[in-house]
Amino acid sequence: MHRVIIGNGIAGSHAAAVLRERDPGSQITIISAGALLFYNRYELPDVFRGRCDWVDYLVYPPDYYQDNNIKLRRKSLVTEVNTGKRTLTLAHRELVSYDQLLVATGGSAYVPERLLDSIPLMHNFNNFRVAMTVRNALPDGGVVIMLGGDAMGLDLARTLIKTRHKVILIAGDRTFWPHGITLEDRPRYLRGLEKMHLQVIDEKQVDRIEQSNGKGPARRVVFSDGSDISGDVVMPFYGLTPSVDFMSHAGIDIERGILVDPQLQTTRNDIWAAGDVCQIWSPEHNAYRFYYGWKNVKMMGDVAARNMTGDDVSFTTTVDEALQIKADGTIYSPFWEHD
Amino acid sequence: MTSIHTDVQIGICGSAGDGTIAVGDILKRAMARAGYRVIAFDEYPAEIRGFGKCVARTRITTEPVYSMKSETDILVSLNDAHAIPHVAEVRDFGAVVYDLAPISMVDEGWHISGHLNPGQLPYGLAMREMSEQATGSSRSRNMVALGFIAGLYQLPRPAFIDAIVAKFQTKAAAVTESNVAAFNAGYDNGAGTYRFDKVEVGPPARRTRLQDSTMMTGNAAVVRGCLDAGIETFFGYPITPATSIMERLSVEMPKHGARLLQTEDEISAISATIGAGFAGARAATATSGPGFALMSEMMGLGVMAEVPAVVFVSQRGGPSTGMPTKTEQSDLNIAVFGGHGDARRIVLAPTNVEGCWRCAGRAFEMAEAYQTPVVVLLDLYLSNRYETVAFPKKNPFLRDMCKKPARDKGDATYRRFELTVDGVSPRAIPGEAHGIHTATGLEHNEFGRPNDLSDMHFQMTEKRHEKLNAALKHPDITIYKRFGDSGEVEVGLLAWGSTFGEALEAMLLARDEGIRCAAMKVVMLSPLPVKPIKRFLKDCKEVIVPELNYEGQFANLVSGTLGRSVIRLNRVTGKPMAVAEILDAIRSAAGKRKLRKSVA
Repeated sequence: MHRVIIGNGIAGSHAAAVLRERDPGSQITIISAGALLFYNRYELPDVFRGRCDWVDYLVYPPDYYQDNNIKLRRKSLVTEVNTGKRTLTLAHRELVSYDQLLVATGGSAYVPERLLDSIPLMHNFNNFRVAMTVRNALPDGGVVIMLGGDAMGLDLARTLIKTRHKVILIAGDRTFWPHGITLEDRPRYLRGLEKMHLQVIDEKQVDRIEQSNGKGPARRVVFSDGSDISGDVVMPFYGLTPSVDFMSHAGIDIERGILVDPQLQTTRNDIWAAGDVCQIWSPEHNAYRFYYGWKNVKMMGDVAARNMTGDDVSFTTTVDEALQIKADGTIYSPFWEHD
Repeated sequence: MTSIHTDVQIGICGSAGDGTIAVGDILKRAMARAGYRVIAFDEYPAEIRGFGKCVARTRITTEPVYSMKSETDILVSLNDAHAIPHVAEVRDFGAVVYDLAPISMVDEGWHISGHLNPGQLPYGLAMREMSEQATGSSRSRNMVALGFIAGLYQLPRPAFIDAIVAKFQTKAAAVTESNVAAFNAGYDNGAGTYRFDKVEVGPPARRTRLQDSTMMTGNAAVVRGCLDAGIETFFGYPITPATSIMERLSVEMPKHGARLLQTEDEISAISATIGAGFAGARAATATSGPGFALMSEMMGLGVMAEVPAVVFVSQRGGPSTGMPTKTEQSDLNIAVFGGHGDARRIVLAPTNVEGCWRCAGRAFEMAEAYQTPVVVLLDLYLSNRYETVAFPKKNPFLRDMCKKPARDKGDATYRRFELTVDGVSPRAIPGEAHGIHTATGLEHNEFGRPNDLSDMHFQMTEKRHEKLNAALKHPDITIYKRFGDSGEVEVGLLAWGSTFGEALEAMLLARDEGIRCAAMKVVMLSPLPVKPIKRFLKDCKEVIVPELNYEGQFANLVSGTLGRSVIRLNRVTGKPMAVAEILDAIRSAAGKRKLRKSVA
């Protein structure tokens, strides 16, 4: 039995561990587009605290993979899945066969269409390399302009402020994503951000980003009303888009994410999905929905692995998804928690 | 700022025809040009193109080192099928660079990315596509790969451009331009790539001193030694891995008014060399094991007729045709003992590239001073290995070591084979006044006339043997040397030829681990420097003799001569011995002693 997991994040890596535990004799392959072993992305803001060696972020040491007979293929991008032949095509023109497949590719940063041309002038924060790039681009006491302000961005903002940087948040309808905030509650939460020492600019739409000329901060954010602000780094935090393009011809149901039942099985009985890439049927909501955060995603890896090895368990969240206001008026997101 | 001690080994692996050796050559020349110390060794197949595997390994350091490393820091794959078995050589947090877009689909498991250990860092690069974009052809993907690692580790671009220009200087300008373009494309890509590996290349140390040095192979050093010693004539027949000696000499000798002739076979080559030596010329030949086997009869003539001749023998895997492009040290027996009769000869075995130069030069002196053939025993690893070396500004080799006959004696009294105290007779060159004599393969009297009387044969045999003992005190050549701890040691390494470098590194590592140990290199294998070896063995509680042959030929020589048992470490893999293997043997020998002690 060859079990292939696409994705080397929390869901995929935890699923591999559970699969190995439940079926010691099977062949397990994790396919990852990245160059590194599984590391804790939730801790990436620590690069601003001087923790700059990627090895310090590893969840498992290199020996773990050999000791557990888990094959990890890095820098391997899956471009296509042939569900009929049960093969994956890798970008470097190699076919990999599977008996069971778990898709755990997560998501990539969403950027509104009007800002796509400005992507080269923005900094992501979704892996170690780009985190280090931001760190290197940001001078001591430098200014970060944060667009959107989803939960991951706000988590980073907390660290940036503690490390004496200035954060200007351009708030919008994706602020606090994936938390659903009502219009009535929104001002209260924005005030919570100000209590956390973020400078909040609300009700302004970003038109474009430009490279500054000459001295001063490197970027200029221009609003649709013609006004502008300057910062050293501009970072988009508009939430995630599930990484599902390579599955588009696989013959399984996809809406925004891969649609799975509560057992995390897709419309094919040999393919499962877990993590930010999947929309899980919720009988309670009578709809397919996403679940985010370390705890949820890890649980999905566990559930998928159990069901792939003959169990019949359903995913249910144990996370209180509500954004909280603490006693001091600042906000707290349960999605910031991790092991 | 603290300076980084650079010690990086880069392996480039491809198929014959991929340009693997070519980019390896540019890499080592560029790094030497930039002021680093370089040791390099290439593995290549016996076939010319399209079959076998080529591996170009280059070790780049800022401190002196003595061998290649067992582990590779950076592996570049130009052919995954060949490179996959070498992935295991890459250390944890080392880098593997490969083509991420092969020209066609590959079967499952045949792409190198699927074979990396978790601790190794992958760098996929669209080598073929980048080469096509930069040059219009995929042929320069080797240059793209070279440029990539140069850019990735911020190696000095101008040194590489200079090396590329020098490499292709005899080709059309367009060839150089396209190679530079491909290199630059790779360099820019590498410079823009984020590095996760833990391979550090610092600036070169002691740059000014190293600027006086040059980088060359063992065979090139032999050629320089021959020229510095004033070689006058060379006869040879091509054979791997000695051919490049003749090739280089064929270019250089005419510039010095000397002559070279490619003969029809090895028998002619040694015959002509001895003939030239008889005629008074500084003469040499070069061959490998199979060729030297053919020369053995004429070696006897050289010994009997007391004719100076220098024979360079570069060992390869044997017996017979064996493994022409793989290294071995299995011709010690034939070099020291090969041939008929009691035919003692001088055998020198250099241990590094500088030693190749020195032994080559001194071999001519010794051949002349002791009037006998001298064998300089190399091996493929040493012949083909590149090292940065610094030669003295003043040529140290003496041009005339001939013991001349006294001028006031007439024809009738000149004794070419006079029995003297040191065994060396006055030597007249044919045509020299009052120097008429006979040189023959028959046993002879002092005049050279055939004579097979018992006493004469005994005296002449003794003379031919005893005169060589003076070679043990030949000036300005290290025929043995001890390294490491002085006095009594737990473990001693006794090594010869190219394997000594690995032995020395292993000994230094063992000392770092707290094991008292020492290493002795033995350069003169015949006559064997018995006394210093005996002293060394006495100091060592355990003695390991590492060598690249199955029988333990040097161990046999030492044990047979000195009656001391040694630990034999023999490998016949066609590759240099790994430092790690010798280190393990040291640990094991030291451990056994400790165990014995604790049991007692």
